[in-house]
Amino acid sequence: MYKKRQKVGKLISILIKIILCVIFLFPFAWMCSIALQTGVESSRAPITLIPAVPQWQNFVTAWKMAPFPLYLRNTLIIVAASAALQAAVMIPAAYAFARYEFKGRNLLFGLILIAFMIPVQVTFLPIYRMAGKLNLINTLWPQIIPHMTNAFGIFLLRQYFMQVPDELVEAAKLDNASDFKILRRIMLPMSKPAISSVMLLSVIGLWNDYFWPLMMTRSDEVRPLTIGIAALRDTEGNDSWNIIMAGNMILVLPLIVVYIFFSKYIINSFSYDGIK
Amino acid sequence: MASIEFQNVTKKFGDNTVISSMNLTIEDGSFTVLVGPSGCGKTTLLRMIAGIGPQTSGRVLVGGRDVTDIEPGKRGVAMVFQNYAIYPTMTVRENISFGLKNIHMPKETIDKRVKEACSKVGMMEYLDRKPSTLSGGQRQRIALARAIVKNPEVFLMDEPLSNLDAKLRVQMRVELIELHKKLKTTFVYVTHDQVEAMSMADTIVLMDGGRIQQMASPSVMYKDPDNLFTARFIGSPSMNIRRMDDSTSFGFRPEHASIGPEKEPNAWFTTTGTITAREMLGSETLYTIRDSAGNATVSVPEEHIYLFGSDGNRVRAEDAEYETLMEKVRQQH
Repeated sequence: MYKKRQKVGKLISILIKIILCVIFLFPFAWMCSIALQTGVESSRAPITLIPAVPQWQNFVTAWKMAPFPLYLRNTLIIVAASAALQAAVMIPAAYAFARYEFKGRNLLFGLILIAFMIPVQVTFLPIYRMAGKLNLINTLWPQIIPHMTNAFGIFLLRQYFMQVPDELVEAAKLDNASDFKILRRIMLPMSKPAISSVMLLSVIGLWNDYFWPLMMTRSDEVRPLTIGIAALRDTEGNDSWNIIMAGNMILVLPLIVVYIFFSKYIINSFSYDGIK
Repeated sequence: MASIEFQNVTKKFGDNTVISSMNLTIEDGSFTVLVGPSGCGKTTLLRMIAGIGPQTSGRVLVGGRDVTDIEPGKRGVAMVFQNYAIYPTMTVRENISFGLKNIHMPKETIDKRVKEACSKVGMMEYLDRKPSTLSGGQRQRIALARAIVKNPEVFLMDEPLSNLDAKLRVQMRVELIELHKKLKTTFVYVTHDQVEAMSMADTIVLMDGGRIQQMASPSVMYKDPDNLFTARFIGSPSMNIRRMDDSTSFGFRPEHASIGPEKEPNAWFTTTGTITAREMLGSETLYTIRDSAGNATVSVPEEHIYLFGSDGNRVRAEDAEYETLMEKVRQQH
């Protein structure tokens, strides 16, 4: 009886997981499907799920329609520079919040949490004006500098650093290690999963960012992939969804590769796994 | 090698004074065990020596040098932590050599010293393993090697055996005694376990409530306690204590009492009761006797009775009250 109940429970759990998978994967699968359809197939109702003949040339069409190599270069510069700066700011900040007692620590940390809660739509106007005064509009700079820090990352890493036992830090101090060395040789290696996932989330956000570059730029020279893909709609004029989806595939493919590479760390990231 | 001296040392955590103006000298080359119940301040003392929990006021001297303003790593001390504090992402070799690399010692010297330290604790074949693949006892040995490799003047140990199983703990006790003999440096060892203190120390510092209750060799601690606290804390099973009407008390060690159907001829104190439990331990057997009516008579001769005044301090033969108190004990039953 108990065994039977256990089996039924397991079955239900598997079923729920399948349903969730379908819900989450369907839009993505549909995008893949449309990217391989002909223009007629993609605008037909009811929807076509499996294209009659996969239209691989859609990718070529999309790629040729706009200066994608330029967009890709801009995206790569923005993402790499922002992510590197974020790491350089976030890691020492999280360490300081986790390990030092100083005046105003809680206040400062509170401010960071508040910054984390304010949506960009509120801050973009003053930042836009600031960038304007500095003559930075329509360059890569206003797409990088405002992303230099990552409040969520500071918060998450601080929690992680706080879980590292005090004795480890004390032992390292007795071993003549400087703070920088403690951070580099003990904290960072122990926090690899957390750092990887924070960085990954951040890279995804930067890669997919649409609003910010749209506000800060005017010309193709400095625009990233996201804007380029969206522009496909305007150049096509007639809503060629198959071409737009092919462009989207081009946009997300690098992210999927990165995710597969990091997924091991992400799964570990929310549970501390030092030696007990 | 170095002696350690506390001069008028006070330690506060916020408004809470844990230790107030303590003076204590730990002899050079001794194996000193700081022992006491939890919260007595023993670990606080150890952390002051290491510099990872500095004193609020007063001076701490290591080898005659005031270390108050000296960083933990530069005090010539090494510490073994209760949970070992092994760096989990480094191999055994990296764990042991970390401290030496940080002072930029030449690579060949580091290699030589790591190997020496590792062979002293019998962990040579584990040099390239990660700590997560090692057992508790092996991790403990790595922590020891990490301390040994630094050639410290003082070894500090904070309950290093408390996470090991009983059998391994007894074995490690012997190994630590041997290690102390080999290295001939000052060992300061913190524990709450009086058995560990008795078995390893050449000097025991017994603490309670931030104060030193008694500092002596294990045998003096056991045979000649200064006060009720020491008498109760040291010895397993602990001393039998009976309170007399005016809050003075007397006590005797279990092994000095004889149990029989009749009172012994040389008995100074006798009482009768019922045997309620018997624990056969091999070399000895422990009897628990509840006194009231019963058929077991406990007899204790005069020379094995310890007297304590109403302040809890020991009353010895040379003290004025001794005779009167002794007489009072005789009237107890």
